[in-house]
Amino acid sequence: MSRRQSFLALVTALVLAVVPQVAIAQDTIKIGFLPGVVDPFYQVMQLGVEAAAKKLNIEVVTQIPATWGVEVQTPILDALVARGDLDYIVIAPTDKDQMIGPLKAALDAGIKVITVDTFVGDGDYVNGPVTFPISYIGSDNVEGGRIAARGLAKAIGGKGSVYINSTNPNVSSVEGRAVGFKEVMGKEFPDIKVVGLDFNLDDMNTAVQQTTAVLQRTPDLAGVFGTNVFSAQGAGTAVINAGLGGHVQVVAYDATKFAIEQLRAGVVSLVLAQKPFDMGYMAVQFAAADAAGVTSLPRRVETGFALIDKNNVDDPAVARFIYQVPGK
Amino acid sequence: MVDRESRVAVKMGGDSPLTATPSQQFVLMLSRVWAWVFLGLMIAFFVIAVPFVSNGAVDFLTLRNSQNILVAITPVLLLGLGQTFVIISAGIDLSVGWVMSLASVLSALAIRTAYNAGVPLFPSAVLGFAAAVGGACLVGFFNGVIIAKLKVPAFIVTLGSSFIVRGASLLLSENTTVIGLPAGIRNYGNDALIYYIRGEGGGLYLLSRPEVTGDLLRRMDPILPYPVVVTAIVVAIAIFVLRKTQFGRHTYAIGGSLEAALRTGIPVDRHIIQLYMLSASTAGIAGFLSTLRFTAGSAVIGDPLLLASIAAVIIGGVSLFGGAGTVMGTVIGALIIAVLTTGLVMLNVAAFWQFIVVGAVVIIAVLIDQSRDLIIGRGRTG
Repeated sequence: MSRRQSFLALVTALVLAVVPQVAIAQDTIKIGFLPGVVDPFYQVMQLGVEAAAKKLNIEVVTQIPATWGVEVQTPILDALVARGDLDYIVIAPTDKDQMIGPLKAALDAGIKVITVDTFVGDGDYVNGPVTFPISYIGSDNVEGGRIAARGLAKAIGGKGSVYINSTNPNVSSVEGRAVGFKEVMGKEFPDIKVVGLDFNLDDMNTAVQQTTAVLQRTPDLAGVFGTNVFSAQGAGTAVINAGLGGHVQVVAYDATKFAIEQLRAGVVSLVLAQKPFDMGYMAVQFAAADAAGVTSLPRRVETGFALIDKNNVDDPAVARFIYQVPGK
Repeated sequence: MVDRESRVAVKMGGDSPLTATPSQQFVLMLSRVWAWVFLGLMIAFFVIAVPFVSNGAVDFLTLRNSQNILVAITPVLLLGLGQTFVIISAGIDLSVGWVMSLASVLSALAIRTAYNAGVPLFPSAVLGFAAAVGGACLVGFFNGVIIAKLKVPAFIVTLGSSFIVRGASLLLSENTTVIGLPAGIRNYGNDALIYYIRGEGGGLYLLSRPEVTGDLLRRMDPILPYPVVVTAIVVAIAIFVLRKTQFGRHTYAIGGSLEAALRTGIPVDRHIIQLYMLSASTAGIAGFLSTLRFTAGSAVIGDPLLLASIAAVIIGGVSLFGGAGTVMGTVIGALIIAVLTTGLVMLNVAAFWQFIVVGAVVIIAVLIDQSRDLIIGRGRTG
């Protein structure tokens, strides 16, 4: 962690050093921002994008797909490219393989790509199969999964059955979380058994149903890991509905207000807050830095996590990582 | 659909005038051209509004944008084409979105398996096409047999089969995107018939993508990408079949009046089975093209497209009660949806407005359809 933090500090220093010149030399770049779907996580990211854009005097065009999926995201991406006035696109690709082609087409049209939250290829833009994006800025989701696993293991006393509820297959972010989670459970906690992994296809009702079914199938279920907003909310709801609040521990990835509510109610034991504001803010800074001629931007930046539990949820230093959009 | 009897009742009402008054003639004329007029006005609006809002930085009417819109309509349009035939016959096919997903997975699996077994690229793609359309046709056959022979309403059958298909494709894809396709597949799905490079050092290139980089690459516009070409061919075939062949005439006849069609000796059951196979196979082509375009198969790719494709068909003037509609209408319907999406993005307006506009246009389309029916009676247009 300390290595990563010092690395981050370096990046920040680098970007900050560049920014003043950017504001003078390049006040004309225009950025397209295309997140994955409408949800609180991306709304907070949008705040970050807009804050940075305002500060650097950059124009941003934001389009948010109504549903998750390449058939929805690609036409919007194509239309952003066809505008012809964008220099950068900050995007959360909705599939790590299928979005390679459409993003390559954007690049061919002269638009540089920065991916946030999710990546294309394997996320290694230096040695991986896909190297054309400037950078990936997001959480280290495998690490997030590991942290979630340790948190859940602690909450259930290091033994019992646990279940993972995830959203969609082949999305780099949630996939990594499940991988990290399973890895830690397998290596560090021999008395904990992962009894299943379901995909709710981004539908909270399905997540409720799936978790309910697992609660019936595995009466001694000790914990659930919800890999994103929808999963965690659905899993938490199922646990409440089954009257098992407090008996089945839920670790929620993503600090939505609902997740925090459930944390206060004792249903969720640990909330892993990502830093979407930082992702959005930094992506715009990177675009500005690239436009100013900076060539040594890191190809991968991990924005880290804030861990929220019952004890620190009211601490302002932690509470600021709860996903809140003013006026909503 | 379910209202076959009420439709007959309307027709039997017998008060539909054979000669229309001028105001009725106006409604009839309107019902034929309004979708074209609406599309034209919408394009005109974007052509003026987009540069205005962006202070001239963005143009709506560009070559690249026109091609984008054509590519964007291909999946919705292909799903809508088969649906057009089915709805004209007074049926409905709710399985097309997920049949497209199934076809996408099947074709990706077939291409990968064939290529890894040493089959060259092009034959592998052909096998992928066969797997996509073949698998889709099986679903269509299943739908058609149950609807025609067991007399279960199409709405229920296709709803049921869509769930089966969805489950099957998620299982087949093993919960993930089917990747590992040969790189050349991407070219089939994304290259274009013609390339045009604007300005100095540019020119027209036919059939092969010019190897250019940097500034030239940026000025290069692909014209008629292959998915668009394939879709155009399917559209042409659909127009021909619906307008010029016995198959088309029978489709209108069955939708106009099932009873009359039976009495005149049309092999109704067989025809209905063929209709659902046709609908599934255009969805299969859509799935195949999406596999080429995204160089991977996906079990969720068709999820958001079913309702859009039905909206396109209805905006295009196909009567949900059967007996009326054209292929060109569906093309216009799909174009209206795609132009809206692209135009709103260029205006930097939230794309969600698209839903509100599309919803309103669907209702207007049905209202116009109904007022036309009141004047001329059902089942008499063709």
